Amino acid sequence: MTLSDLARPWRPFSYGFLDASAKREIRRKLVKAIAVPGCQIPYASREVPIARGWGTGGLQVTCTLVTPGDTVKVIDQGADDSVNAASIRRFLARVSGAATTLDTTEATLIQSRHRVPEERLHAGQTLILQVPNPEPLRPVMPDMSIARQMHADADYGRLWLVLYEQMVRTGRVMLGAAYPSLVNGRHVMTPSPIPRWDVPKLHMADHLTILSAGREKRIFAVPPHTRVEPLVFDDVPYRVEEHGSLTCHKSGLRGYFMNELPQPDGTALHEVSDSHLGEKAIRRAEGEDVRIAETWYRNGELAP
Amino acid sequence: MAYVATRGGERAIEQAERLYRARMGTIDAARVAEIEAALPALVDRVMGEASLYARDLAALALAQTGGDIYEALLLLRAWRTTQPRLQVAEPIAPDGTFTHRRISAAFKDIPGGQILGPTLDYAHRLLATEVLDGMPHVPPPVTPAEAPCHATHPSLAAWQQAQGLLQPPDPVAVDRNEIPDLTREPLLFPAKRAHSLQSLARADTGGLLSLGYSAMRGYGNAHPTVNELRLSEAELRVAHPNGTVFSAGRVPVSQAEVVTTRGKDGLRLGFCATLGWNEIKVIAGATLDLNAPGAAKGSPVEQEFVLYHTEPVEASGFCIHFKLPHYVTFQSALDNLRAARANAAEAWGAPGPAPVPQEEPAE
Repeated sequence: MTLSDLARPWRPFSYGFLDASAKREIRRKLVKAIAVPGCQIPYASREVPIARGWGTGGLQVTCTLVTPGDTVKVIDQGADDSVNAASIRRFLARVSGAATTLDTTEATLIQSRHRVPEERLHAGQTLILQVPNPEPLRPVMPDMSIARQMHADADYGRLWLVLYEQMVRTGRVMLGAAYPSLVNGRHVMTPSPIPRWDVPKLHMADHLTILSAGREKRIFAVPPHTRVEPLVFDDVPYRVEEHGSLTCHKSGLRGYFMNELPQPDGTALHEVSDSHLGEKAIRRAEGEDVRIAETWYRNGELAP
Repeated sequence: MAYVATRGGERAIEQAERLYRARMGTIDAARVAEIEAALPALVDRVMGEASLYARDLAALALAQTGGDIYEALLLLRAWRTTQPRLQVAEPIAPDGTFTHRRISAAFKDIPGGQILGPTLDYAHRLLATEVLDGMPHVPPPVTPAEAPCHATHPSLAAWQQAQGLLQPPDPVAVDRNEIPDLTREPLLFPAKRAHSLQSLARADTGGLLSLGYSAMRGYGNAHPTVNELRLSEAELRVAHPNGTVFSAGRVPVSQAEVVTTRGKDGLRLGFCATLGWNEIKVIAGATLDLNAPGAAKGSPVEQEFVLYHTEPVEASGFCIHFKLPHYVTFQSALDNLRAARANAAEAWGAPGPAPVPQEEPAE
């Protein structure tokens, strides 16, 4: 037996791009993040071959979790064909050999920028959300060391004050995407800038959600069957975007989160933001045998 | 199938990259070698910010990105991150390095002398337009000194310590292999001393200059005097598996020590070092290091503010990410805006005043 029999053949980089020490660190931090839902866990966050701010946090988690048996879906703003999603999907396939898919129901790992798919995720699927800013307290406390102390103290008074001031000024809460939400009754997290429409999909879900900010070097998680409650006053209900009655001009789908497309005549058309759901609806209308899974929203209302 | 037909993402990004690369033409070994030879200052800057000492790789990264420094850094950092950390070399003391240039602004003359070394400081900055007319600029030969200069020079801070002007540093006893490594663990605040110096070493030169300059103009609390600026080559002493310590080569390093006389216990130092020769960076970095203790939260010289905002790969990446589509978050905010306007119209019977815009967190 020689040394070369024992050693693996030389490769320019490790399986899944990241080396074993980087993956081990991320796995440990993931376990921690899952054990303390919503709590931001710092990690080293290696540089990867895409730019910071372009999904490096999500990419490191996906690279750590992916195996050749996985099926990976990558979306950006709900669309599989967005250029950055296409680039990340191509990179993941190249370094992992995993299958890729556009179909939410077929994916085992879904890396997403700012959307949760409309079809219900089930146990065994992992949603990896790219996070630009992991700190819900940033608008009220830009200093990360002080914000960390505020989380430790569950000191969220300033966030409540922001909500109250918005109510007083405009009659409603003006927070758009990234609506701060209390996880497991303890830590307030930013659900990454997913629209308000998507936040209830994380509440008591069957799937695991991992949120990873590469540039800011923080990982946090929402394990399955965990409470995710948007911060609201008892007498002011949480409001999702008023998209329940909009119709997609391409697929005819109605009652899902929509993209607004300004038209030259001053009007606007809408198209369903979950691009593959739209595609499936079109193909089904054309007579193909396409299965659309149960969706979180039915007739524009959150299904119980 | 109109919906499917619009999926052009993969082809579009491939062609966009080709368009960019077409401007640069063929990249060959000769081009890389020419960059390495002709642009030592740029190669040094890139090596320092990439925290990777490899002249040929730095030159290759510059060739491959057409000179876009931030893209070159990202290439080098992403390559670096895949490399194993074999071992930690022996510590280097400034007075043990092979010194090419060592000056002090604090005294007219210092033990070991002021060694000017290579510098453009006193050059007249006249553009050599004759080069464009076909008259090459051939650098005049350097006249050797009568006696060779010493290879090493004592540290001025050692003299100041002996005089009782400067408190000797209080080193934390740490095993060499346990020195905190910024590339293997997150930066948290208050930062470990090792992390803070490592961050400065790989910080953006422009970023350090900008914040350092703000400190020099008065946004800091300490005025810097350059105690010692040193350009040298340091021996990279590592251990062979059989225990023999040997030099694996020399790496050029820059070090700056700035000093302030404002302090109760005598002089106080700020320090910055980096790979390659980059004087602006280490003077600005040392000034920021000097100003960090006691700086108010959120001030431009406070440690967290400085170290977060001068990370070149993070800052440039986030800046260019704003080119990515943001229509989902925009749609979500638009929904609020329209509803608030409708509320106002209901209350006042007219479109009403525009709602006060809310500060949105960065997305």
